[in-house]
Amino acid sequence: MTVAFFNHTRICGIKTVLPEHFIDIDDELQYFDNNPKKLARAKKMMGYGRRYIADERTTVTDMAVYAAEKLLLEMKIDRNDIDLLIFVNQKPDYPEPCDACVAHGKLKLNKNCTSLDINLGCSGYVHGLLTAHALMSSGAYKTCLLLVGDLCARTTDQTNRKGAPVFGDAASATVLTYTSEERNAYFVTGTDGTGWNKIVHPLGGMRLPLDKDTIDLYAEDTIGNRVLLHKGIMKGEDVFNFTMDVAPALLKDTMKAANWTADDVDLFAIHQANKQIVENIIAKAEIPPEKAPVDVFSKYANNSTNSVVTVLCDQTNPLKNVVLCAFGIGLSWGGAALDLSGLYNGGIAHYVTPQDAPSRERQIKYWINFFKGEEE
Amino acid sequence: MTNEEFLTEMLDVLQTEEQLSMDTVLDDLDEWDSLSVMATMAFLEKSFGIKTTMKDYKEMKTIGDIAKKAGL
Repeated sequence: MTVAFFNHTRICGIKTVLPEHFIDIDDELQYFDNNPKKLARAKKMMGYGRRYIADERTTVTDMAVYAAEKLLLEMKIDRNDIDLLIFVNQKPDYPEPCDACVAHGKLKLNKNCTSLDINLGCSGYVHGLLTAHALMSSGAYKTCLLLVGDLCARTTDQTNRKGAPVFGDAASATVLTYTSEERNAYFVTGTDGTGWNKIVHPLGGMRLPLDKDTIDLYAEDTIGNRVLLHKGIMKGEDVFNFTMDVAPALLKDTMKAANWTADDVDLFAIHQANKQIVENIIAKAEIPPEKAPVDVFSKYANNSTNSVVTVLCDQTNPLKNVVLCAFGIGLSWGGAALDLSGLYNGGIAHYVTPQDAPSRERQIKYWINFFKGEEE
Repeated sequence: MTNEEFLTEMLDVLQTEEQLSMDTVLDDLDEWDSLSVMATMAFLEKSFGIKTTMKDYKEMKTIGDIAKKAGL
C-alpha cells in the first residue's frame, strides 16, 4: 500500500452542477413490462431513482466552467490568483486540445497558470485531489481549481437497460489553496491495468478509429441489450467482483493511513456505483451505515468522476474528517482521508443550456468557415 | 446457515413471492433476471465470501445449485 501524505493544502470550496433535464425511473414503466411491481422491485434492489442527462449541446466543460464561475463568485476568489488548473474528464470537448486549456480560455484565467488534464473516471476525483496536493506541496502553486465531470448518461443509449438507469451526468469545481497551517491529507491509490477492458470505449481512439464501417456497429450483451460499440461497454459482473475486492479494503487502508477509526470519521463518501454495491461495501468494510450515504444514488444516480463530489455537495451539515472511496475504470481506485474544516459547500446547482448554445449544424458551419479563415 | 435459512434469504435476495425449494428451476422464476444475478453475486460474496462469474450462472440451473456454490 502506497500512502501519500501532504500537510499544507486546504480544500476550500466545492460546487456541483447537474444538467437541467432529468428522467425518473417511475416514468419508465414501459421498460418493466408495464408492471408496477417489477418497477418497485428494481427500485428496491438497485436504488434506481432520478438521473440528470445533459442535452447534446451541453458538455462537461460547460457544466464545470459554470460551477467554477459560481463558486469563485460565491467565495469571492479572484480568478487571477488561480495558478493551477486540473481537469479530470474522460469525455473531452475535443480529442485535442485538452479540456483544461479550453476551460482556462473560457474562464479567462491568468496566463501564469499550469493547466493539465487527467483521463480517469470514477476514481478520478481522488486522483485529481492527489495531483493538486502533490503539485502544491512544492510551494510553487498557491491556488488550484480542480474541475471534474462526466457524461455517462448522455453517452448511454437509453434503451440499454443495464446502463441507462444507472448513470447521471454531473460536473463540479473545487478550489484548493496553499496554507502555512497544518492541514493533513492522506491518499491511498492503486491500479489493476489488466482489467483495462472491463469498462471500455473500444472505438474512437487510435487503436480502432471511428469510421463508416464502425459507426453503426452493435453487439449484444449478456441480457440481450443491443449496445453500440462506440458508446462503451462495461463487464458488470467482473467490475462487481473487482469492487468487492478493492473498495472495503480501501476504506480500511485509508483510515489506517490517517490513524483514524470509524469513530473519528464524520462522513464516508463512497462512489455511488449503485445502491446494492454501496450497501455491500459498507457491510464488508464494517463501517457505520449512518455515516455512509447510499441515497445519493437514488437522487442523482451514478455520476462517475463526479460521484464522490456529489455526495459531499449533498451534505447539509459542516464536514470535518471525511474519507473518500472511489473505484472504477482503469481499473483504478483511490481513497483519501481529509480534514475539510471550514469548507465552503456550494451545494448542487443546475446548468440551464443557454438559448444561444451552438447547435450541431452551427458548429459544423463554424469549423468549415474557421478552416477557410472566416471565423464567425 | 441451514437449507431453510438459505431459502428464506433467497426470497429476499430475488425479491420474489414464489415458493422456493432446492429444486426450483431458476429459468422458471419470473424474477430470475440480470438484477437477480447481481443480487445473488452480492449475497454469495457478503454471506459466504464466495466469488462467482457469469460462467457460474450459465451452469447453475436450480436454487440448489446456488446453495451448492455457497458450500451448503
